[in-house]
Order: sequence, then structure tokens, then C-alpha cells
Amino acid sequence: MAAVKTIKTKDKHILNLAAIVGGGRSILYHKEDLLAYDCDGFTIHKHLPKAVVFPKDTQEVAALVKYCHENELPFLARGAGTGLSGGAIPLNEEVIISMVRMKRLLSVDMENRRAVVEPGFVNLKLTNSISDKGYYYAPDPSSQYCCTIGGNVAENAGGAHCLKYGVTTNHILGLEVVMPNGDIIDIGKDGVADEPGYDLLGLITGSEGTLGIVTKIVVRILKNPEAKQTVLAYFDKVSDGSQAVSDIISSGIVPAALEMMDKTAIEGVEAAAFPVGHPKDIDAVLLIEVDGISAGIDEQIEEILKVCRNRNVREVKVAQDEAERGRWWANRKTGFGAMGAISPDYLVQDGVIPRSKLPVVLDRINQISDEYGLRIANIFHAGDGNLHPLVLFDARVPGETEKALEAGSLCLKVCADVGGTITGEHGVGIEKREEMRFVFTEEEIAAQTDVREVFNPKNLLNAGKLFPSPGRCVEIKKEMKAAQTS
Amino acid sequence: MVTAELLAELKAILPDVKVLTEDSNVTVYPHTEEEIAQIVKYCNEHTKTISIIGGGTKSGEGTLVETVDIRLSLAEYTGIVEHTVGDMTVTVKSGTRYTELQEYLAKHHQKVALDPSWPEFATIGGVIAANDSGPKRLGYGTARDCVIGLRTIYPNGKVIRSGGRVVKNVAGYDMNKLFIGSMGTLGVISEVTLKLRPLQKCESLLLVSFPSGNLDEVRVFATKLLDSMMEPIALELFNPALAAKLLNENAYTLAISLEDVESSVRYQEEFIKRLIPEHSNLTILDEDKAISFWKQVYTAGPKGGQRGSDIPSEKIAALKIGVVNLNILEVTRECQLISDSYSVKAEAHGGLGTGICQIVLRGSRDDVEQSIRQLREFAVKLGGYAIVKHLPDSLNGKVDVWGEKPSYFPLLEGIKVKMDPNRIMNPKRYIGGI
Repeated sequence: MAAVKTIKTKDKHILNLAAIVGGGRSILYHKEDLLAYDCDGFTIHKHLPKAVVFPKDTQEVAALVKYCHENELPFLARGAGTGLSGGAIPLNEEVIISMVRMKRLLSVDMENRRAVVEPGFVNLKLTNSISDKGYYYAPDPSSQYCCTIGGNVAENAGGAHCLKYGVTTNHILGLEVVMPNGDIIDIGKDGVADEPGYDLLGLITGSEGTLGIVTKIVVRILKNPEAKQTVLAYFDKVSDGSQAVSDIISSGIVPAALEMMDKTAIEGVEAAAFPVGHPKDIDAVLLIEVDGISAGIDEQIEEILKVCRNRNVREVKVAQDEAERGRWWANRKTGFGAMGAISPDYLVQDGVIPRSKLPVVLDRINQISDEYGLRIANIFHAGDGNLHPLVLFDARVPGETEKALEAGSLCLKVCADVGGTITGEHGVGIEKREEMRFVFTEEEIAAQTDVREVFNPKNLLNAGKLFPSPGRCVEIKKEMKAAQTS
Repeated sequence: MVTAELLAELKAILPDVKVLTEDSNVTVYPHTEEEIAQIVKYCNEHTKTISIIGGGTKSGEGTLVETVDIRLSLAEYTGIVEHTVGDMTVTVKSGTRYTELQEYLAKHHQKVALDPSWPEFATIGGVIAANDSGPKRLGYGTARDCVIGLRTIYPNGKVIRSGGRVVKNVAGYDMNKLFIGSMGTLGVISEVTLKLRPLQKCESLLLVSFPSGNLDEVRVFATKLLDSMMEPIALELFNPALAAKLLNENAYTLAISLEDVESSVRYQEEFIKRLIPEHSNLTILDEDKAISFWKQVYTAGPKGGQRGSDIPSEKIAALKIGVVNLNILEVTRECQLISDSYSVKAEAHGGLGTGICQIVLRGSRDDVEQSIRQLREFAVKLGGYAIVKHLPDSLNGKVDVWGEKPSYFPLLEGIKVKMDPNRIMNPKRYIGGI
């Protein structure tokens, strides 16, 4: 209890929470310390938490949750805070349970292709820890060098290589979860597949931290592909580029990744930290990667080169070595941040469309850009139709933020209208709550909140995320605008 | 309510729907989603219980109750709703036969990457509702990996969509997962949208048999192969009893499936040849033979309602066991031990990269019952589970089909009650009587 004495507050909840985690440095509660936790990667909305606690193990998480549950204190879990939709923002003055101290790699079992990690373990560290034996962890969000696997589970994170290998949910074999009442449950123990009973593993993955707090994760690890080839293709017309995407897929090739950037995006990445010399006057660049058995790769690359030439490619080249491949990927993976080099502010969107609708959707997005007088750069996982329109704006110009928000939302509407969806990998969070109505009816949303009630009946855990509040659409939009202009 | 009354009421609300009665069973055959919804809604409002039937291949699966009020057959609710070739997705009505769907897709050089049992009879809805899969899940995954959208009729008659028609989607909860494997206890799946894969350009099958019976040799070989960069689509171990039946070779046999472009398949064959241990035998089957071998595997177990066997005294049961991948070796060994200690024939195959084992037990009623208990105990000791997928009539109700309830069972029951408060959908069929 000695450490607890250093806590200078009369708030009994802070004192009690501090006692659970051993006080001292395991809790933050002064306003100046809390400022760093008032938002995540979605910076438009900001709220201060009541406190931030740093448990060291599952038992402490369970005790914290139980305390919050019994005392009706709102709470939420947070990993590295890289989420782009506001899932970790304490809208209701939550107690933030930070998972960053629970960052151990608990075990690796190559023979059975599984590893057990704590939620605070950083995504890329897993691959780095097993790469000497020729293994890796497949989901690779662009933030993988700092985002945590616990956060990946909450958001069902994707990445450039999920075209062939699937998203996080396809790689989760088991979870230990602290339920919103403090109970600890173990699903898919040891990573045994198809455990009888409704698939809670699949349900909790991607539930954006609203059904429970994950404290241990069994993941599937994969053997490195024997060979890998990466191609860069420049097109004078976006329509040729997107036709090439369709042609590659319909030729029966499943590329490991198939990425596209448009002219504005190219301008951004070339002005930022990792330029690779893309021509400035082209309309689209495709980054295509094929991996697998070495003997089959050349055949597939030949086919891809042929497809690109048939679609009037200006230039197409194969990476000559790992260094060149690495440069091309660094250029692409830092694409969002690169927009900072050509615009004071930018807003990232995350729509998904059926691949075949790519040309018509791009046209529509261009129209939106014209209507709003804002540039929109497009970076996307073209192979699986996951678009990231980046709306460029200047928050200092009065009214421009509102315009950017509206333009972003309209881009999602376009995606929904062609049979797509409003988020492919960033999650709904706060950002796209209202846009849920673009894709789901009130009844379908109620079917989902019904499920939440089973897990989280008091709705103390991460309340106000993921679902629109009935009938409050207009107020929330206003609130978002107010938050931005203040 | 007597059948006649129920029949009259159904006829009144659904004049166009075929209703058949047989031994006091009422079976309805809707043709549209609206009709399914009307039937379900009627049942919910009058607390009539429903069982859902596709091709009937899984009618022996789950805890079977004596009677339900209405059997809802989806046999006439069939057809492709939408197939966008370039998007590699298909939406199909749930009563569509699995093979019919695959044959249609094959014309476009595409496929659903699942290999369920009895594909010619099973419906896509049944495959998804039972989360059925086969040995090729090692390479292609399961229904969890390829279902991207569902339309489900809830017990209140509302059609609820989950997921969508795009291959990447995190809008809201991943509700698809709830219905996959739920054995029809939450609602009626009416449409399924699936992510497709290109049809493989070349396929072959390597059969490696181990006449010594030494499973350590199998383990050494399998771990070497798994640790290599080869990409087998299936790595399935057959115990001697099943290998004798399918291949006329009374020895542990490993089936290694390869599917890719031809150059890759040939290259992998050569690589694996070099790994083959000294005292084992290798046979390579070409595409046609490989396909017909797998067909035999998919039809090796009992086919739903067909309970009989050629020998009246022989009872048949089927088990699915899940363990950590390489423990499949232990499970197949245990099956062989059981065959030796009881007068039961245990035919087993299991995936060394998937941890899923399918076992058919044949023998007297008591021996079959004893074997089930022993195998379940064994699986649980290894940290796994055993589900009984088929029982002889005489053991119905005497053997726990699902095994121990998990500690989080209240959540499962909570979901069931929330969605089906009157418990009309496939009552008691699932784990813990939900």
C-alpha cells in the first residue's frame, strides 16, 4: 500500500483503482497527464478520461473491471491508440484500462503454427520474433510497427496482404477475455479449432472493445512463402489501372497484395519521406505482389505483365531485390501520413466496394471533390475493393473541416450505394456511427445491440461506439462540427 | 394440436406452399423468402417448434428431439441470386445443392473453397449452418473464412442481413459468425454470399503409407513437411482401418493434396519425394484419381437419416474430434487401440495441420457407446473436444452429443434467448440443450 500513499486525491474511486494496480506509476489521474489520452488516431473528437490505469496481468484487469462494474463507472480498453475511428476515445469520461504493460510474447509453437501473446504486444514484433525460423504473422496493418495485437483483435484489423491471407479474424485461434462484469472466460482454448457453441471468437473479434476486454490471444502463424515478386505498373488513365486490377483477379491469380494510388496520392508520397521516383504525370500506380512456390511465380508474373500491357500500361517493372521491394512498400505504407506533405490536414476514409465498381466509384469521388472544392487522394487495397479516399483540407479555413467531413461521408455513401460498405478495416468507432445507417436498417442495428446486451448489459464498457443513437443523427453531426471548430 | 388442424391453418396462410404430411410429420416447402418468413412468424406466434431441413445429410447431427410441429424444408428454395464474376463473389439461396453450385461456378473457373461431406446431397445452407468442412481446410479455411454475407430470417419473421457482398467488411459486429455452425437454432439462413477462389489449374495427390505402423515416423515426416515452404492444401492422416477401406492398404497413410499452377505442383511433388522416409511407400495420383479419392472420403461417414447398415447387428456412430494440430497423431493411435480392445471398427482421418479428426465407429451398441466415451475422455485430456455427429437410434438420448458445456455457456444461452425467446428453432439440438 506504500505506493498508494503517493496518490494525491480525495476521489475514492481513483484511490481504489490505484490500490488494484499497486498505485504509483500504474495510474494517471491529473488533467495534464490525461491529455495524451483524450483521443486516438481519430483526432476530431476529444474527451478526457477519468483516469488511466495500467494493469500488469489478467487478474488486475478483472479486478479493475469488476470494480467499475460494481460502481457503475464507464470504462474502456486501449492499446497503442492508433485506431482511426475513435474507438478508444473516452466519450463518457471512462476509466481507460491501458493494455501496454501486458506486452509479453507468452509462447511460440512452430510445429502447431500458433503463438500466444498478451494484448499489448506490438504486431510487427511477433513477425520479428519468429522470422529467424522462417515464420510470420500475416495481418499487416500499415501501423504494424506500433499497433498492438489486442487492438487489432478489437478492430479486426486488415492490411495490404489480406487479399490473399485474410484479416485478423482469420488468424485468431483463441482468446482469454475479461467480460464486462469482471468474469474471465477462455474461448478456443489452446487454439483448438471449431470449439462447439456459437462462435464467440468470431463475434468478439472486430467488436471494437464493446463486448469484453481481451487479455490473451492465440494467433495462427504462417510459414514464409518460398518466393515473392513485386511489380510496379504506371498507367496514364485510372480506368486502365482499374481494368488491369479486374483482369489480374479474373485470370485466376490470387496476388498477396494488389495496391493502387491515384495522381494526388502519388504527389503526396513523392513529396514525403519515402519517395521512389514515381512519374508525376501518371494517373495511377499499381503495386502488385505475388508469393508462393518459387516454381509457379514466374508464370504468374508473366501473366500480370501481359495483363498490364493489354491495358496500355506506360511502364511496368519487377523489383530487382529485397531493398527495392522494401522501398516500394515503405512508400505505399506511409501513404496516409504523406498527405501531410501536401496538405495541412487530411481525413482518411475506409469504404469498400465490389471490385468491378472501381471505375464508376472513382468517377463519383472525383465529382465529390469538384463539388466541395477539396482535393481527394485515393490510396487503396484495390484487390479487395477497400478504398481509402483521403480528403485534403485546411482546418484553419473556416467551414472547410465541415466540408471535409461531409465529403468523406458522401464517399462512404457512394460505396454503400454500389453494394459496398462503410468500413473495411478501420472500424466504425465514433466516426462512422451515423453512416451505419447507409448499410443497415434499424432492425439490423437492433439485432446487433441485442447481442451487445447479452455481453455488456449495463453498457459501461465503451458505450456510445459503433452504433448510431436512435433519432440523434442530427445532433451528433452538429456536435462533431462544434468539436472541430472549437 | 392435431396435425389436421395445423395443416388447415398452414394452408390458409400459405395457399401456394406445398405441405406434406407423413407419419404425423408436417413438412412445408416454401419457394420464397417471404414464405419462409411467414411460416417462421406463424410458428413463433403460436409457439410451434420448427426443424430446418436442407439435403438431410446432417439430420443425424446434434441432439435430436422426438418431434417438432413443423419441418421446414428448403429443398425447393434454390438457385443463384447473383454472381459477379469479376468480384469473385456469389449469392445463393440456401436450399441449393452444394455440387450444383460448384458445377455452375466451375463454368466460370471459380469455386467455393470448402470440401464438405456428401456434397451432392448437402445444401449450401446446411453446410454453413453445420460449419462443415473437409481436409482441404488446411489450405482454404472454413465457412468462417469464406462466408461474407447472410440473410437470416429471425424467429419473429424479420429478415436480418449480416455482412454484405464485399470481401472486406468491419461495419458493426461480425454477425455472420453467430450463424455459421449454429445448427439452425437462431434463425433460418435464407441467402448466403460467399467469397470465391479461382479453380485450381492443376491438382495432384500424394499418398504416403507407413507399413511399419510407427507413428513417430509419420510425425517426423509431417513436421519436416510443415516446416518446409511447400503449400499442401491438405495433410490428412488416415488410420489403417480407413486406409484399408479406401485404398486397400492396411497402414497409416498420409494424403498430401497439391493445388496450384502445374509448374508449382510438379515442383512440390519432387520436393516431397525427396523427404519421403525410407520404409514408406509413395503413390502419386493424377487429377482424376485424386478427385475420385476425395469423393470417397467425403462419403465415408453416415449420410444423415440413413441409419442402417448392411449388417443389422452393426451399429454406426460418427464423431468429430478437435485437438491441437499434431495431437491428431495421438487421436488416430487411440482409434487403433480402441479397434483392438473392443470389437469396434474405428475408421479415422484427421488433419495434421488443422487438428480436426473425423471418426466412424462400427460395432455392437455397447461397444460403440463405450468407444465414444473413451475417445471423448481422451480428446478432453488432450485439451480438445469430441462431438457426436451421428448415433444409432438405440443410443439416442443415452450419449451426450456435445460434451461438457463451456464455462461461458450463459453467454450462449443468452444469445439464444435473445434471438429465439420462444425457443422454436431446432429446439434442444445444440450444446447444453439450446
